[in-house]
Amino acid sequence: MTDVPELTTERLVLRGPVGDDFATFAAFYASDAARYIGGPLGIADAWRLFAADVGHWSLKGFGWWTVIEDDTVVGSVGLHHPAHHDDIEIGWNTYSGAEGRGIATEAATAALNWAASVLKPERLVSYIAESNLASMKLAERLGATLQPGRASHAADNLIYLHDLSRYAK
Amino acid sequence: MGHRDIPVLESNRLILRGPASEDYPDFKATFASYRSRFMGGPLNAYEAWMLYAAEIGHWEIRGYGMWMIHDKATEETLGMAGGWFPSKWPEREIAWIIWPDKAGHGYALEAVHEVRGFLYAQGGWGGAVSYIDPKNLDSIRLAERLGCVKDPDAPTIDGSDAVYRHPSPDRLTSGQIRDGIELEIAHYADPLFKPKGWALD
Repeated sequence: MTDVPELTTERLVLRGPVGDDFATFAAFYASDAARYIGGPLGIADAWRLFAADVGHWSLKGFGWWTVIEDDTVVGSVGLHHPAHHDDIEIGWNTYSGAEGRGIATEAATAALNWAASVLKPERLVSYIAESNLASMKLAERLGATLQPGRASHAADNLIYLHDLSRYAK
Repeated sequence: MGHRDIPVLESNRLILRGPASEDYPDFKATFASYRSRFMGGPLNAYEAWMLYAAEIGHWEIRGYGMWMIHDKATEETLGMAGGWFPSKWPEREIAWIIWPDKAGHGYALEAVHEVRGFLYAQGGWGGAVSYIDPKNLDSIRLAERLGCVKDPDAPTIDGSDAVYRHPSPDRLTSGQIRDGIELEIAHYADPLFKPKGWALD
């Protein structure tokens, strides 16, 4: 597949997803924490989603990273654009046990820097379920602004527009 | 964009490559249609796209997957065939789908014979099954032409599918099964000779 660029931050390494990441991915998607992003999912659905996230890099040249802290998988962050979504989206997930320490902020910042300097999309959004307050706060911390209207693919999703001019060029 | 590691296979009339983004419209059209009813479809636009991305991710995760079947002469796509082993599958499967307007030319037979030979010889597979909806008579007939035998004792995916077991590599290396398949493929490739019966897939 496309070589996935590896990004490093102060605490984290972001690398392309590999088969060994699936167990953690499936556990996250089986949990209540996945309720804002289409979960909870059974293992068969989780596998198909995971395989799709892996395949996204080959299809589009961008995609999801697995977020590693001290050799432990702590979450995922990604740029994705499945058919039926109006814009390229940045999404983030923090896995159980790693919440509350700014992991998603740090990983998303690295992904936004990469987007601003390499991908350079015309628009980059985050679609966030209206009850997912933690994710909305994070989007605002990252400089995104709430747009009028709802996502055309999901009526309960708000649209946050990112400002890539704030990130590395 | 293409996948850098997927081997390209060639047979008499076909060339098999990894699925690429430019092939997606053909895949989507089939999976949006009634044709896909035995393969979890019809799918909406989002589901079709996620499945297509998963077809490529499968290669990355398992090291094998589904090839896109192209007509060697025209390059147009005809369908897909290959190895399929997502989570919850009891055994590794050989799977196929031919676009609805490309059926009836023996393409699936030729493509599956090619990928099965590759998975056995290069992939080290000691055998394979195909999970087929009992109402999918076209696919059942194809499985039988490929030498598969229904295995009523094998575990199924969810109880609604029948398990067809492919001949082992040893049985396929020599003997009547392979000769019969290759004779039938040759007949399709040369329309002067008509095989007995009618190609459903």
